[in-house]
Amino acid sequence: MDKFLFLFGEGIKNLWRHKLTVFTSVFSIFLVLVVVGVLFIAEQNTQKLIEYMRSKYKIEVFFVDSITDKQAEQIVLEIRKIPGVYSTTLITKDQALQIYQSQFNEDLLEFLDYNPLPSSCVVNITRKKDGLLHVKPIINKIQSMKGVDSVNHQGRLINRIEKFYEKGLLGLSIVAFAIMLVTVMIISNTIKLTIYSKKDLIQALKMIGATNSFIRMPFILEGIFQSVLGASLAAGLLYGAVFGVNVLLGQLTSFTLHVQWTFLGWLFLIAVVISLFGSSRAISRFVK
Amino acid sequence: MIKLENASYSFKKGFSLSNIDLTIDDGEFVFLIGPTGSGKTTMLRLIYMNILPDSGVVRVGKYSSNSIKKRKIPQLRRSIGMISQDYHLLADRNLFENVALPLHVIGYSKSDMGDLVIEMIEEVGLTGKENHLPDELSGGEQQRACLARALIKDPDIILADEPTGNLDPVTAFDLVKLLEKVNAEGTTVFMASHNYSLIKSRNHRIVEIHGGKLRS
Repeated sequence: MDKFLFLFGEGIKNLWRHKLTVFTSVFSIFLVLVVVGVLFIAEQNTQKLIEYMRSKYKIEVFFVDSITDKQAEQIVLEIRKIPGVYSTTLITKDQALQIYQSQFNEDLLEFLDYNPLPSSCVVNITRKKDGLLHVKPIINKIQSMKGVDSVNHQGRLINRIEKFYEKGLLGLSIVAFAIMLVTVMIISNTIKLTIYSKKDLIQALKMIGATNSFIRMPFILEGIFQSVLGASLAAGLLYGAVFGVNVLLGQLTSFTLHVQWTFLGWLFLIAVVISLFGSSRAISRFVK
Repeated sequence: MIKLENASYSFKKGFSLSNIDLTIDDGEFVFLIGPTGSGKTTMLRLIYMNILPDSGVVRVGKYSSNSIKKRKIPQLRRSIGMISQDYHLLADRNLFENVALPLHVIGYSKSDMGDLVIEMIEEVGLTGKENHLPDELSGGEQQRACLARALIKDPDIILADEPTGNLDPVTAFDLVKLLEKVNAEGTTVFMASHNYSLIKSRNHRIVEIHGGKLRS
């Protein structure tokens, strides 16, 4: 127990004794974890952002003038069955007239003897879909239906957004993978450098008869303390940043960043595992 | 007892120790003399089993190089106090903490070690410097601190590798006298040096090594 307390104390004291190397180490752990965290948050919110964008996609379908409400209802039911269609709203001729009157405060029937507005339908596209959403086939299918006069859509814009999303997702995955590799290397090398700078201590401990585990323990504990410290700082910054960004976004749009905070646990785990791996590898060079 | 029986060791770069036969009895004080690069440090490393012989056997107390398990080597080293020319004191710990380090390794509690450390610091003449860092001590004081660290665990053997190498003649002589005092209390001392003038007047056995071979 005395030995354990001593080793535990040494792990903590070493943080103070080697302030500069510890600062370098904690700072680099902090930096890479912030980058990893930002990627985590970006990944989590890309899907939410694209769903938000898709909720704004609208296809307006106008029916021929001669169509009855019943026929229009039938076509709307057909449209609803097309894969990729999330919801449909039928606007009958009478409803269109009411909308016109309420928006423009004019009664068309006063100066026209008939209702010139066609029946129409607003089509919303599905939001939840992994990967690229193709709207062109949906539009083509609607256009080919009997009774459909014209279709208003933002097909080009939607296609652009979808392609951008697809490329972004691929880019994000590549960057995340590269960052993870760099993270492992940076944290593990920083810890290695810290241990190399303490060759004298290791030599002295060997000479006085310290066992390998006695020599290893303070380094491993120090590595864990450093990674927990770096991860705590990174978690604090990320939490604060998400909070700040959401306050800002809340004033501009209904879209806010959504974060599953359990990922912070992963951040700590990554840091600790990498530091354990790094310190064990580095110390094994001196303690065989 | 330290016993080297036909012990040989070769480094990859070419230098080797060849067929060393040497016995040092318990409580003996032996000087190992030879020029720089003659193999003195290698011989000491063989004794504290930092390296193991390619052939032959090294026996230290109950431990033998041909049967010792890796995990037992720290136990052997706990019965040996090492002092060297480079001191190997920890620069970021004060004298008290440096001297106390071996007791932590053995598993002493903090409350038990205080008096022992103070006593040992007093024995090597460094009382009042407990809170000094190594670089606040002179070369001679650092070497005495090193000796205190070696002695605190009450070792059976002291191995001294050129302990006077960085000291002026007077301080070097004081250190040898200190080692003799330790030896008089029953500790075996094996001290390597290339300073013949320092040791010739002392009444101890001298073993000479040259080019990796012992001379009688």
